[in-house]
Amino acid sequence: MTAVIETRALTKTYGTVRALDGLSLTIPRGGVYGVLGPNGAGKSTLFRILLGLIRPTEGEAMVMGARVGAGVGDVAASRRMGSMIETPRFPPFMTARQVLDWLSLAHGLTPDAALVSGWLERVGLTEAADRKVRGFSVGMLQRLGVAAALITEPELVILDEPTSGMDPPGIQEMRALIRSLSERDGITVVLASHQLLEVQRVCDRVAILNRGTLVREGSVTDLTSAGERLRLSLTPMAPAMAILGDRATVEGDALLASLPRAEAPALIRALIEAGIDIEEARWIGADLESVFMTETGSVQHVEAIR
Amino acid sequence: MSVILLPDVLRSEAYRLVRNRMAVFWSVFFVPLLFVLGGLIYHWVNKSKAAELAAAANLPADLLAAAPVNLMDGLGVGVSAMANGAVLVFMLIGAATLYAGDYRWETWRLTSARNSRVNLILGKVAVFKLAALATMATFLIAGLIFSLTEALIYGKSLTIDPEGFEAGQFVLLVLLAWVRIVQYAMIALLTAVVTRSLLASLFVPVVIGFAQSLLGGPGLPLLGWEPTQWQAQLLLPGLAYDTLKATIGGAPGQPEGLALKAIVSLTLWTLAPLAAAIAWFGRQDLSKE
Repeated sequence: MTAVIETRALTKTYGTVRALDGLSLTIPRGGVYGVLGPNGAGKSTLFRILLGLIRPTEGEAMVMGARVGAGVGDVAASRRMGSMIETPRFPPFMTARQVLDWLSLAHGLTPDAALVSGWLERVGLTEAADRKVRGFSVGMLQRLGVAAALITEPELVILDEPTSGMDPPGIQEMRALIRSLSERDGITVVLASHQLLEVQRVCDRVAILNRGTLVREGSVTDLTSAGERLRLSLTPMAPAMAILGDRATVEGDALLASLPRAEAPALIRALIEAGIDIEEARWIGADLESVFMTETGSVQHVEAIR
Repeated sequence: MSVILLPDVLRSEAYRLVRNRMAVFWSVFFVPLLFVLGGLIYHWVNKSKAAELAAAANLPADLLAAAPVNLMDGLGVGVSAMANGAVLVFMLIGAATLYAGDYRWETWRLTSARNSRVNLILGKVAVFKLAALATMATFLIAGLIFSLTEALIYGKSLTIDPEGFEAGQFVLLVLLAWVRIVQYAMIALLTAVVTRSLLASLFVPVVIGFAQSLLGGPGLPLLGWEPTQWQAQLLLPGLAYDTLKATIGGAPGQPEGLALKAIVSLTLWTLAPLAAAIAWFGRQDLSKE
């Protein structure tokens, strides 16, 4: 597994606040990687360090083999990496097309009209290509920000809240674009988002940060399947509860049973032999939100509020 | 590696500045345009006054048309106006836009991942130097138009007479004006980096320039300083500019070593803010907008 991003004991302090606290994280090449965490978890700080906007207090970060913050711009690494951090803003007197031409020049490339038009089309800004940026909505700025991140045809793109400020159709389009960047263009996408359903749908792997440290990392499938349960709609419920014991909880008119998949056939046979009618039995996975809430301790906060 | 990337900043900054039509108009074209319009009005008023005076003195009305207009004089007029106070102030619009624009538009994050911070500053300074040259070229054209309008309004003939025109002196005056404009805009650069504000980078140099002009006028006698003293030259880059202008023009009676003091002053006022801005920028958290 080749790493595109690697951090070792990365720490960033602002006065007494530790925004990152010895974070060691390896992000593999390929696919879509989500960085999750509540506000103040250190996501934006991590991205800012990776882009050289701020310097770490301790530790180091490597982007495609090049150490970040070495002091000198690295032609190879910077052209191979695109980014959009928070809601992007651009010189208001420029058109979308001019913004991309300008950024091409800033990256040492000759503006390529076909390439610019191509990216504007991919992000859905063809009609607004020659309009001044000052009239753009937040969603349009997000789209242009993504195009700006891609103008150097990078191998890695970092997107911070790429769907922020977008309407539902825009969010779906952005999701499709992100997947296509990974699947069609072979670009590794690293994104941060608060929209966990969004992340679950678009990401292959995720890292969950809390208070500047890594609390969980893995593929979305692994993280969500670890908490999967068997949902049983059956009658009567009392004998079934007796068979399942503390492995079952009641949810409405159904039972949720926590058990390994291999034990399910035996359980269902036992229930039938006990004269219980099973209307439906299906596996339900834990969603990323419940994993996130558990790992970040947010569940306790919610319970406390209740 | 780092130096190789400098042209990238230069090209991208120039591209962006050229597309900022408001900044280009106010910093490059406005004062020369005002100069041309002022010249036009000046010639009109002067012509009608002269006609009245000629009539009162029983002189022929076309007396003023007798002497031809030398276009080379127009160049002289242009070069003498290149670094005047109005040019310096209006050039600040371009300087502030260049130096503080990335803070205002929050675009540092788009460019700073690519290049070294020293290059990003030097690229901006280089583009400002080009913009200053553009303004100066516009002033030379304005000087020629000043002469052309004079010929047109008075009905004078036009000549190009190089006699009395010293090319070396002309080049040195152009170079000096360029240095003065760039030096003044360095205060805008340092202010932009420290305050991250476009407005501050416009007004702080204006206030400093105003204070220096006050000090250079009535202030010097109050302090008991002579314009030829080290402290006066070092504190007042405008005075240093005037000193060198006079030196190049061959002004008689300048004390020995005065030009050196003026050169040291302009050099310090150019390089010290640049060095401070680079040092400050190098440590800056660019994610804070």
